[in-house]
Amino acid sequence: MEERLYDLIFICRPATPEDEIAKIMKTLEQVIADHKGTIVKNENWGTKRLAYRVAKNREGIFIYLQIISTDGEIVKELERRLKVFEPVIKYQTVRLDEEMKLQKKLVARRELKLSRKPRRTAPPAAAAPAAPMAPPAPPAEPAPAAS
Amino acid sequence: MADQQGSQAPSGGGQGGGYGSSRPHSSGPGGGGGRPSRDGGGPGGGAGPRKGGKRQFFRKRKVCRFCVDKIDYIDYKKADMLNAFVQDRGKILPRRMTGTCSRHQRWLCEAIKRARNIALLSFASEL
Repeated sequence: MEERLYDLIFICRPATPEDEIAKIMKTLEQVIADHKGTIVKNENWGTKRLAYRVAKNREGIFIYLQIISTDGEIVKELERRLKVFEPVIKYQTVRLDEEMKLQKKLVARRELKLSRKPRRTAPPAAAAPAAPMAPPAPPAEPAPAAS
Repeated sequence: MADQQGSQAPSGGGQGGGYGSSRPHSSGPGGGGGRPSRDGGGPGGGAGPRKGGKRQFFRKRKVCRFCVDKIDYIDYKKADMLNAFVQDRGKILPRRMTGTCSRHQRWLCEAIKRARNIALLSFASEL
């Protein structure tokens, strides 16, 4: 089974007391533990202005979780629980692992390109009359310039 | 990284020094906000004749801001950043205005839609 990375954000009513949020968090942690998932990040962004009205609220308490899990059912269960909690007005789960994989691939490709780049940029630099100016800059440059 | 910059600098130093330095400079305002650069097409084009003096309708080429910053993933949680690519009314700005490349526009679009869904960005602002 492959591991999957999820972003879970939920918004509570601004008047929700701290212990109420703690209770919700405890339940969610329990659910995550039951499904053998792990919490990577757990952030409370505090009260933020909502971009539009949600359940007649203009503000909300944002809570952000990042979860790694092998079990896809975890999302279903978490969303079901969040739907039940009265103070939660909005929630969203996003699967991110494929995008992270793509990002890693691109970073790796860029590094490869960078390591290869001096060879590709060298010929025009050597052909240009700027050759006498080149020697002081990099140690790699003089070799192609001399040839 | 260091020798890459080093190799670029001497080649441009000879003749294209002024041209090379004017490019990043012009990309600054263009990246700052897509719309102003288009509305101010006159002044933007005015910068062209000052250098070349060839065409009045010359418009400086916009560069993808994400490519310049070498961004591989556009985070939907950075609402302030995404806000720069959205009109006042909440519409996503087209590529021709912001100069974003097609791949980054695709990612950006996705990120904006996610941000909207969780109330970080508005679908349409109330006026």
